[in-house]
Amino acid sequence: MFPLTATLPDASWTYFFSIVAVSLYVSGLAVAVSTLVSLPVALGIGFSEFPGKRAVTAVINTGMGFPSVVVGLLVLLVVSNQGPLGDLDLAFTPEAMVLSQFVLATPVITSITLSAVEGVGDDVRDAAFGLGGTDADVALVVIKEARYGIVTAVLAGFGRAISEVGSILIVGGNIVYSDGTSYTRTLTTAITVEARQGRYEAGLVLGAVLLVLVLGVNWLGSWIRSRGRGRASGGGRRSP
Amino acid sequence: MSLSVSPGEVVTVVGPSGVGKTTLLRLLALFRPPDEGTISWDGDDAWALSDRERLAVRRRVATVFQEPSLFNASVERNAEYGLRVRRPWSDRIRDAISGAIGVSDASRRVRDALETVGLESLRDQNALSLSGGEAQRVAFARALAVEPDVLLLDEPSSNLDPRNTAVLEDAIADARDRGVGVVVATHDMNQAERISDRVAVLLDGTIIETGPPEQVFESPADDRTRRFVTGELVY
Repeated sequence: MFPLTATLPDASWTYFFSIVAVSLYVSGLAVAVSTLVSLPVALGIGFSEFPGKRAVTAVINTGMGFPSVVVGLLVLLVVSNQGPLGDLDLAFTPEAMVLSQFVLATPVITSITLSAVEGVGDDVRDAAFGLGGTDADVALVVIKEARYGIVTAVLAGFGRAISEVGSILIVGGNIVYSDGTSYTRTLTTAITVEARQGRYEAGLVLGAVLLVLVLGVNWLGSWIRSRGRGRASGGGRRSP
Repeated sequence: MSLSVSPGEVVTVVGPSGVGKTTLLRLLALFRPPDEGTISWDGDDAWALSDRERLAVRRRVATVFQEPSLFNASVERNAEYGLRVRRPWSDRIRDAISGAIGVSDASRRVRDALETVGLESLRDQNALSLSGGEAQRVAFARALAVEPDVLLLDEPSSNLDPRNTAVLEDAIADARDRGVGVVVATHDMNQAERISDRVAVLLDGTIIETGPPEQVFESPADDRTRRFVTGELVY
């Protein structure tokens, strides 16, 4: 951390922490909102049968690969003065970045959640129903059984959001206040600045911080999954 | 076809694999309405009842399928599931927060059910870590714990060794003695002969013969039953 303070242009902990804070705020809020939208959508699709279900699922899966710069451009069009949300003055604000990351994270969370929900066997649903469960009880059982997959979905969405650069650069503008603290600059966009200005050492340090965050999230996901598997495998006996 | 079960009676539906035994049990458990005919409980057409009334009927029944399908939770949490869903949501939310079972006699019923199948000592173990036989017994305990009026069992001993099969059959006899009506779907003719008060032979999509086990197995009225029982009729 010490070389960071020596090499960053603004050379201050305040600058560094403001970047991390903006990154976590934007990604955290985007993933929180995305989760609130994705879970009901995934559960609704997972629990129902309707014409075109496969097509809807395919569209969601395709959304996982949305080019982020295209998303950024579209979001900028929406929030710009001439756009439908122009009156809200969202362009080049953290909230616009939240919106673009929401668009990027939602398909990821929805798709993985849907996969987890559909991965719960019909036999489990039948067991719940056969013991007197209502449709709501059966749904609750499926959610509980899919819980590790749902957690993975949320963490994957966070991973996508925190490491994203293209769209937030477009809609956020990579702005720093005159006092050197970040307004819309995140770890990823700060790295682009450092790289462009040839301050590779600072860029690498920021990259390391970003990696630690992403690895931490992945480690958390792995730990939660292994905890579930550990419980499931318990005594390790499965044969009759 | 026509099939009935009375309180304190064990009716076994025998037939080859794929003949429709599981489908019949699912119809009896009110998983879906029949395409034709009626499913009656106490003389009422179950599918003519309101949703609330039908739920009340369903909750007098407990079904155990061939696959145990246990939940990723402790044995105790699995065994209490049927009791939990019968509680008001407000109580369930409160219990979920406090981690309690809540129903005053739920612990006793769960404990009794687990003791019946010999798994009381595993109550805190995760159910998915159990062997197939243990899992099948937990599934059975889960059904016993709700103290149903009717038990529907689909190939209940398919995962069990002879000792555990005996435990299960004793538990079925105990349930019958307590006045529970039991319908067992099985292709195990020996088991059907051991546990049944009545045997129904399901062949070609219909029940071709019903009667006491000694009659069905030793002097069947229908020649197809005789050929099925003796193994001449191969499916």
